[in-house]
Amino acid sequence: MTTPLLLVDSHLDLSFSAIQLQRDLTVPVSAVRAHDPEPLVRSFGTCTVTFPELRRGGVGIVFGTVMTRIDPNDRWTATGMYVQSQCHGIGVGHLAYYQALERAGVLRFLRTPDEVDRHVADWEGDGERTPIGLVLAMESADSILGPEQVPEWYEAGLRMVSISHYGVSSYAHGTGTEGGLLPRAKPLLDALAAHGIILDLTHFADQAFWEAVDAFGGAVGASHHNCRALVPGQRQLSDDMIRVLIERDGVIGVACDAWMLDTRWERELPGCEQRAHVTLDAMADHLDHIAQMAGSARHCGIGSDLDGGYGQEQSPLDLDTIADLQRLVGILDRRGYSMADIRGIFSGNWLRLLKDAWRRKTT
Amino acid sequence: VLIADGHLPLAASALALRRDLTQAVPVLRERESGARRVPSRHKDSLERRVGPLLAGQGPARVGLPEMRAGRVGLAVALLGGRVQTSGPDQARGGRTREVAYAIARSHLAYYRALVGEGELAWVRDVAELDACLGAWERPTARTPVGVILAIECADAILDAAQVAEWHRAGVRSVALTHLGLHVYGHGAHARGGLFPAAYPLLDALAASGIVLDLGRLATLALRETLDRWRGPVWVSHANAAALAPAPENLGDEAIRAVAGRGGVVSLACSAALLTPPGTDAAPAAGADAAGPSLSAVADHVDHVCQLLGGADHVALGTGLDGSFGRDVAPADVDTIADLPRFLDILRSRGYGADDVRKIAHGNLVRFFRAAWSRPR
Repeated sequence: MTTPLLLVDSHLDLSFSAIQLQRDLTVPVSAVRAHDPEPLVRSFGTCTVTFPELRRGGVGIVFGTVMTRIDPNDRWTATGMYVQSQCHGIGVGHLAYYQALERAGVLRFLRTPDEVDRHVADWEGDGERTPIGLVLAMESADSILGPEQVPEWYEAGLRMVSISHYGVSSYAHGTGTEGGLLPRAKPLLDALAAHGIILDLTHFADQAFWEAVDAFGGAVGASHHNCRALVPGQRQLSDDMIRVLIERDGVIGVACDAWMLDTRWERELPGCEQRAHVTLDAMADHLDHIAQMAGSARHCGIGSDLDGGYGQEQSPLDLDTIADLQRLVGILDRRGYSMADIRGIFSGNWLRLLKDAWRRKTT
Repeated sequence: VLIADGHLPLAASALALRRDLTQAVPVLRERESGARRVPSRHKDSLERRVGPLLAGQGPARVGLPEMRAGRVGLAVALLGGRVQTSGPDQARGGRTREVAYAIARSHLAYYRALVGEGELAWVRDVAELDACLGAWERPTARTPVGVILAIECADAILDAAQVAEWHRAGVRSVALTHLGLHVYGHGAHARGGLFPAAYPLLDALAASGIVLDLGRLATLALRETLDRWRGPVWVSHANAAALAPAPENLGDEAIRAVAGRGGVVSLACSAALLTPPGTDAAPAAGADAAGPSLSAVADHVDHVCQLLGGADHVALGTGLDGSFGRDVAPADVDTIADLPRFLDILRSRGYGADDVRKIAHGNLVRFFRAAWSRPR
């Protein structure tokens, strides 16, 4: 087998999968599948991501999330919290899982442009002996107690933050709601910008998206996000949103979730009771749409979100595990993308954004 | 009288059972009843989905307002997280050491946030202990509850080299195992001793000044631990096996061993550890249908005091709102604010004011004060 192309996945809820879903991510996917209880699989899907599988798929860098939110009405994951002190606890637990894996030599935190460059060289030199690179990201800022706590999170390695998730966070309206930023958002955004932390525009309500774009002076991206022009719904980016991400030199990580990829996906029906009607080609359609708008592939990336509340059932039909994302190389090649473009989509674009953003740190 | 609780899994209740402990118990119960839940009608909302992770949890019994109402002003607050490959809680524990570590860190972070809000106050040394006792001489509705941090099961400690880090974070007590097979040895419900990694861990704990909770060890593991360990010992959450022969309860010999080393046994308010011989399926004849009450806890106090000839080595370690939300509280404990009634039961059995004070908090306070005054 040829060496897989280095892939940066800009959104994986690894800690959530390990801690809240109780999966051992250090074993093959097949072992997790043999171990997962049926009710868990029914609700969260069949496992597609473990560390051996990331290696097999050339995923040498992941944006691993701290993922917890205020969400009292959450009956699905039963992890939505009432107050920020609870989110802070869960969030630090997610961080600590990654730290423990760094101690065990499974992961390595990437915090500076130099660390990124060194990691890529190591991975391409001797990938088997190189830990998987981790960019610490956060989905919903609820676990940051306030702007005064941003330096502490930065020290811990936090480099990209989305302000909301589903529902209304402590700082902004998120997916499934309508509204803008809340009063506490602005000081938080300023603190994030000062630290060169990237603002993840994924999971804002529309009004909040535009207010955040105006209020935030730093670098922006969208960690796991598809195109509304192809799949209608608030969860996707409108063309105007894509345009502003391009203007701000951001990157959009296209996701695997059939919810965001398949117009015939029935949201009311559990994932285990239906099949996606799309293949990995659909991801290429979204990448194409962004590339056509930009006139280049510079703003395209991959943020699979695999095992982020869904599994194999809710993924493209031809994806069994995350390692199958490598098949996008052939798909994009057949669509006429150059190898340079494909490398950009797989890793170069996100790495450029990370390094540019981190050099903009002012405090 | 101030009550010190030697075993409270506050953070596990807050994070795993999603209870905002700054709220009063009736608020927590109303939230858990779902009565006020109105799912969003937004097309992109997730609120209509229902998943399998909802714990079948019993009613909340511990909120900080109830702790204050019951004058439970000092607690040994647990950092949970363990690898659970066997034992009665197998389905509920974590699967890897990294997850056990992460959960303990999440609990630490929660306590830290509540200290930041002034709801809790760290008790990590003699000065902080005295400050806590002083504050509870004249408590107000805002007096912070003092917390002594304890690691419930050493699985969360990745190796001996990490002990110093946990000590710096404020941890002052560690138990080696939980129920079943664990990273450092065999716990209650299993049969076997310590694993080799336990010895450097014990040495690191001793060097840091952390006290050892001898609870929930298998018989052989307990013997091996006592052979090695020279530092302070206590048991945070167990009753007398002579009255209730659960595997996690202590035989008379073990109780004497703890007391002989100056330790304290904090008695548990968990039904399974209080009930007389019998099985869950077939309770012993004469057992109260509603389950044991606080007078059963007092029976265990009596037993320990008679065994040791005094009340110097017994305390309370309720474990309320632990057990993954299963309802195991004594029948007459609606909330933790009912604990003063336990002291009334002791008085009615003839315990003098001095003894009641010792059992309520004095013994635990003396034990930790002595541990923290030892030269290292």
